[in-house]
Order: sequence, then structure tokens, then C-alpha cells
Amino acid sequence: MIFDKPNSVDLLEAISHFLNTKIKSEVPAHLAFKIRIIENVLNIVIREIEKGDKLSNEVMTQLQSLIETDEPTIEALALLIKDEKIDLNDQDLKKLLVTLSKNKIAVDNPNYSTFKKLIE
Amino acid sequence: MTEELSIALQNKLSEANIEGKIFNLVPLTGGASKEIWKFEVQDTDEVKQYILRKGSGIEGPLAIKTSDEALLQQEVKKINAPVPEIVAVSSLDEELGDSYIMKFVEGESIPRKVLRDNEYKDALPLLAFQCGESIAKIHEVEVNNLHYLQEKTPMDQLNELYSTYESFNQPSPMFEYTYLWLKDQDFGDIKASLVHGDFRLGNIIVSNSGLESIIDWELAHIGNPLQDLGWICGNSWRFGQNEKVVGGFGDLEDLLKGYNSISKFKVNENLVRTWQVFGTFRWGVICLIQAAAHLNGSVNSIEKAAIGRRVSETEIDIADLLFLGGK
Repeated sequence: MIFDKPNSVDLLEAISHFLNTKIKSEVPAHLAFKIRIIENVLNIVIREIEKGDKLSNEVMTQLQSLIETDEPTIEALALLIKDEKIDLNDQDLKKLLVTLSKNKIAVDNPNYSTFKKLIE
Repeated sequence: MTEELSIALQNKLSEANIEGKIFNLVPLTGGASKEIWKFEVQDTDEVKQYILRKGSGIEGPLAIKTSDEALLQQEVKKINAPVPEIVAVSSLDEELGDSYIMKFVEGESIPRKVLRDNEYKDALPLLAFQCGESIAKIHEVEVNNLHYLQEKTPMDQLNELYSTYESFNQPSPMFEYTYLWLKDQDFGDIKASLVHGDFRLGNIIVSNSGLESIIDWELAHIGNPLQDLGWICGNSWRFGQNEKVVGGFGDLEDLLKGYNSISKFKVNENLVRTWQVFGTFRWGVICLIQAAAHLNGSVNSIEKAAIGRRVSETEIDIADLLFLGGK
């Protein structure tokens, strides 16, 4: 990257901090509620920037060995399931669906109860 | 904007013979799809509190008109199920838009407050049984009077959800799998009834003695009654209290005890589990619908944008239920 610091994550964190410490307590309850949503959204973006590639690659590696094509995609897997061209009882398929779901929630909401339970 | 709304409210209320000055008109934290306002009216010597619930006039594919929600609540009130009393209904072409005014019910609807505030700690152990009773009552409403509701079989609903998901062109391997799994299940051969469609914390008002009122009827329809029981067991509605299967506060056994104390047919746990998967898939598709409204430009809403990233909550829940022994 050619860009100076602060990097994208630093900038998003600065916004999040500002909203949380300076704005939330100054606005009526229904807007404070929206600021909580905005903070959650900022945190999703931060996690996606920081961990998105690693989490996606992990799924793609598993997917490649499951469906044996050069360029596996999530769409292709969805289609194989839809057309029942893959055995729905295949343990590797189930394992992959678990990894895919876990890796998505790891970015979207790592505090989600099911995710926390599964990584314990 | 508040002033215009206040005048429209005043006009509507006077049709219902409620006169007096409107004050303290404030928006409440509501769902992502409706405006909720609280206000007070100074009657001769008394102050009365009311709630306005107002739709945009554009319903999501699964929702009913806001004014029809009011008609439905009036019908449910007749069988003594706990719902707020409606005082006025407005249709889309009126000044107030698609909306209704109801009496304010004292209590709490925000899930995390109900689950965590000390005030409700004695109510929580009673709540699963009470919810079971109330859901059973809802299912006894005479459906012939509800011409504005659609009747849907489980397969109708499942196919509707699937084609809605498909229309967004965002293929999900987990949802494809879930659809095939659900198509194979037995949903219970039970006479169709009124289904609330979104019975859970957030849509019930709770006091320190328990369930006070059932609100938010926008997803109501006529269909398999077990849907309401599976829905409230979904992890999406446990608000972090994973181990409490019913709504984050209770056990399935108590919910079914309450339900079976009123219902003519008795429900077993396995059927509720199937409906729990169905409900989780349904919530996932509703998240997609909400996000699509933002993505296609029909509204610009941070809530609706954010909810698109909650689809993955339903995927991990279904993966847990189908593959990892989750409850």
C-alpha cells in the first residue's frame, strides 16, 4: 500500500471511539441506539479488513479439496447442493459448511452466542 | 415534522372522541420497519398515554398492512388474549397514513432489559409457561373473520422463503442445504390457525409479574400453529442466553406445559425442533429482505444495511442444529 498512516483500520477505530465517547451520551435514546448499530458496522468492516483474507482462504482450501476444480467458488458449491450433485450426507461437506458459517460469523459478530460456544 | 404529526394525531383522536392537548410526543426505539411514537393526552383532569404505530405504506413481502394489524389485535382481544387496546385506526390515504393508535401498556419490551434488569427477575421463571398459554390462545382465534390474512401451508411458506432468497442472487450453500433438509421433514398434520409469526422478546411487553401484552403483529398469517412455538426457541431470540432455549429465559418443557394446558392438540418436542430450524431459516430470509431494501435503493437505512450481516447468525445456528447437536 502506498498510503500513509493512519491506515484504514486506524481511521475507522478513531470514528468508532469518537461516536462512543463524544456523541452517544449527547443524543436521545433512539439515536443512541442507532449509534450502537453504527459502531457494530464499523467493527465488522475492521474485522473484515484485518481477518477477511485469512478466513476466506481457509474456506477456499477446504472447498478446493471437496469439489476438485481449479477455481472453486461459494456460488458453485451452492449450485452443487441445490442440484443434489453432491452427497448431502458427506462428512466433508458438513465440515465445510461448519467452517464457512464459523468464518463468516467471526467477522460479522464474534460475540454471537453460538460462535462463542463452538470455539470454546 | 413532530408538529405535523401531532396535528394528524389530534384529528384522528377526535374521531374517536378523545379530546385534549397532545404532548411529550417522542419516537421510541422500534423495529427496523415501523415508526413507533409515544405521546400523552391531557384529558379533563387526567393524563393518558398512547402509542402510535405507523407503517411506511410499503410492506415487505411477508408483512401485512399496519391498519390490518389493528383489526387483528381487536379480534384477538375478543378471546381475552393480552393485547393493547386499539383506540383509532388510519388507512394509508388518510392524513396519519397506514397506522393505528393504542393505549400504552406499562412494562418493558427491550429484550436485554427484560433478561438483565433486576425488576424482571421474578417474572422470568414464569414467562415460558405464560408464553405457551398465550400462544395457545392466539391459535384459538376464529380464522373465518380474518379475511385480510393469507393462509399458507408449511410447504407454501418454505417455497415462498426459498424463492425470496433466490431472488436476491446471493447463493448460500447453507441455505440451499437447509431448504433441501426442510423439504424432507414432517411439520405435523395440524389444522391451520392464526399464527402470530413473530412471537418473542421484543414483541411482548413484560412486567414484574410476567407477560402483559403481545404486540407487533405484522408477520401474522394463517398456517401451521407450531411455527410460533419453534420461532421463540430459535437462538436468534435468546439474546445471548444460549442455554435458555425458550426466548433466552425458559425451558421448552415449561413452554409446552403452558401451551398444552389450553391447546386441544398436544405438542411434542421433536416437532418443535423441526419448526425451530424452519424459523431460523425464515429469520435468515427476513434479514435478506431487509438488507435488500437498502441495497436496491428503496430506503437508505443503517439498520437495514447492518441486518444483512446477521444472515450469518442464522447460518451458524442451523449448522449447529443440523450437524453439531445444538439445541
